[in-house]
Amino acid sequence: MTAGDPILAVDALHVAYGESSALFGVSLEVRAGEIVACVGRNGAGKTTLLRTIAGFLKPVSGSVVSEGRGLAGRAPYEIARMGIKYVPQDKRVFSDLTVRENLELGSHPSGDYDWERVFAYFPKLRQLLDRKAGYLSGGERQMLMIGRAILGSPKLLLVDEPTEGLAPSIVSQLKDVFRELSRRSALLLVEQNLPLVCAIADRIYALREGHVVSELRERGAIRPEALEPYL
Amino acid sequence: MTRALKWWWGILLAFGLMAAARPIVPLPFLIEVLIFSIYTIGCSFLLGRVGFISFGQPAYLAAGAYGTAFYLYYFGTNPYLGLVVGVLSGLALAALVGPLFVRLRSDYFALVNLALAVIIYYLMQKVLAEYTRGDNGLWFLTNISPTPLLDISNPRGFFLFALAAAIGVWALYKYLDDSIFGACCLAAKANEDKLVFLGYSNYAVRLLAFIIANTTTALAGAMYAVYLGFVSPEITSPARAADPVVVTILGGTGTLYGPLVGALAYTGLKDVISKLIGNWELFIGWLLVFIMLAGEKGIWGTLQPRLERLLARRSGAAAGAGKAVR
Repeated sequence: MTAGDPILAVDALHVAYGESSALFGVSLEVRAGEIVACVGRNGAGKTTLLRTIAGFLKPVSGSVVSEGRGLAGRAPYEIARMGIKYVPQDKRVFSDLTVRENLELGSHPSGDYDWERVFAYFPKLRQLLDRKAGYLSGGERQMLMIGRAILGSPKLLLVDEPTEGLAPSIVSQLKDVFRELSRRSALLLVEQNLPLVCAIADRIYALREGHVVSELRERGAIRPEALEPYL
Repeated sequence: MTRALKWWWGILLAFGLMAAARPIVPLPFLIEVLIFSIYTIGCSFLLGRVGFISFGQPAYLAAGAYGTAFYLYYFGTNPYLGLVVGVLSGLALAALVGPLFVRLRSDYFALVNLALAVIIYYLMQKVLAEYTRGDNGLWFLTNISPTPLLDISNPRGFFLFALAAAIGVWALYKYLDDSIFGACCLAAKANEDKLVFLGYSNYAVRLLAFIIANTTTALAGAMYAVYLGFVSPEITSPARAADPVVVTILGGTGTLYGPLVGALAYTGLKDVISKLIGNWELFIGWLLVFIMLAGEKGIWGTLQPRLERLLARRSGAAAGAGKAVR
C-alpha cells in the first residue's frame, strides 16, 4: 500500500444474479476525505454495487481493492472489520434491542466506545438510549444506523439511499453530518436526492442499466440539471 | 453491593422459593423440576435468543447421561467426576456436530437435530448394546460412593447440589442475556445481514450459542444419571423429543425464568393430571393450543410484564417509563 492508494478502487466489475447480469465493467474510486455519490434510476445497479463492495455478492469478474488489499471473496464481517461499513437502505435496526444495545453492538468489534462522537452528530440519540429501537421513527433509525456504523472510525462508509422517506429537516441535518463525517471517513453514497448529492459530493458517477454512463469530477459541473437525465 | 444484589435478586428469589418449598413439596418433584428446568434453558436460549428450534435436545441430554453412566458403571465411583465426564461428553458432541448444524436454516436445523436424537437412540439401544445393555439400561446406583462436603449420593444432598447448579446455570444465562454476546444472538435472530455489517460473524455467534446451550443440556443429562443411578435409551427416545420445546413454550420463549416456570407447570400438571386421567399428554396438548391462541407468550411471558409494571408502579417510576414506551 502507498500513501496515494485510494480507499476504494473498483475496476471492471461485473456482477450477475444467476444468468442475469446487473453490473457491466463498473470502475470507480474513492479517496480519503472524499464524498463520492452514485446516482441512477431504480434497477441501475447502485445497491448491487454497494452490496458487492460490502462482500454480500461475489463478482463474476473485475476487482475491488481497498488500500492495496483485495475485497472480493472476503466474508462481509471481515470487510466490516477492515473499516468498510455498509449502511443499508431499509432502515431496519435491531427492534428488540435498545438504542444503547444497538450502539454497543457497533462498539464491540473495534472497542470504540466513544459515543460522545455519535451524540455530537445526533444529540437526540442520547435521550433515546433506553428506548427499544423498534419504537424509533424513520429518521431516528437512520441516525442510529449511521451512528452505529461510525463507531470504530471506519475508513469508508457505504451508505445506501440514506434520505429515502425522511422529512426535509432530517435530510438537511444528514447533509451537515455527511460533510462532517467526511473529515474522518470517506463516503460512497447511493442517492436519488439530487440537491443533497450536488451539495456535498466531490465526485458523482451516474449508472444506467449496470453501466457507468457519466462521471462528474468538476465542482462546477455537479448540478442537478446535469444529473436529471440519468434519473 | 446494592448493584450486585439487584442483579442476583430474581435468581435468588426464584430458587429461594424452591428451597422454601422443600418441607411441603416432595423432594423427587423438586429435583425433577430443577433438572428439567436446566434441561430446558438451553432449548429456550436457542429458540428465544438465536431463533433455532431444536427437536434434538434428547441427543445432548443422552450424551451427558451416558457419559456419566459409562464413567460410574465402568470406571469410577465419584459422582462429581461422573458429572464432569457427562458435561464434557455433551460439550464434545455439540462441538462435533455444531459446525455443521448451525449453518442450516432454522427448519432444517430442527429436523437434523431430531435425526441426531434418533441416531443416538438406536446407537444406545442396538448398536452399542454390548456396552449400554440395550433397553435394560445401565444400573449403577450402588456404585456411587458418598462424597465429602456435599454428599450427592443421597437425595437430600443431591437436592442442594441441584439447587446450586440451577443457580449457577441461571446466573450464566442472565450474564449471557446482559452481555454483548446475548445482544449479538438477538441481533442474529432478527436480521443476520445487519449483524454482519457491523463486523460480526453470524456463524461464530450461532456456534458458540449452540455449544453453550447443549453443554447445559448435557449437564441436565448427567444430573439425571447421578440422581437416578440408571440410564436407558428411553432418555433419548424420539417420542420425548418435543418435551423441552413444549416446556419452553409453556413457560415463555426467550424469557430467563420461562424454563423454570414451564418445568414447574409441566411436571406439576403431569403429576396431578396423570393421577386423575390416563392420557395426561392430551391435556398438555390442549393447554399448548390455548397458550398459542392466547398470544404465544407462555405463562412467564404473560406474567412478567404485569409484575414489572406492578413493581414499577410501587416504586413510583412507572409513569415516565410507560409514556416513553408508548
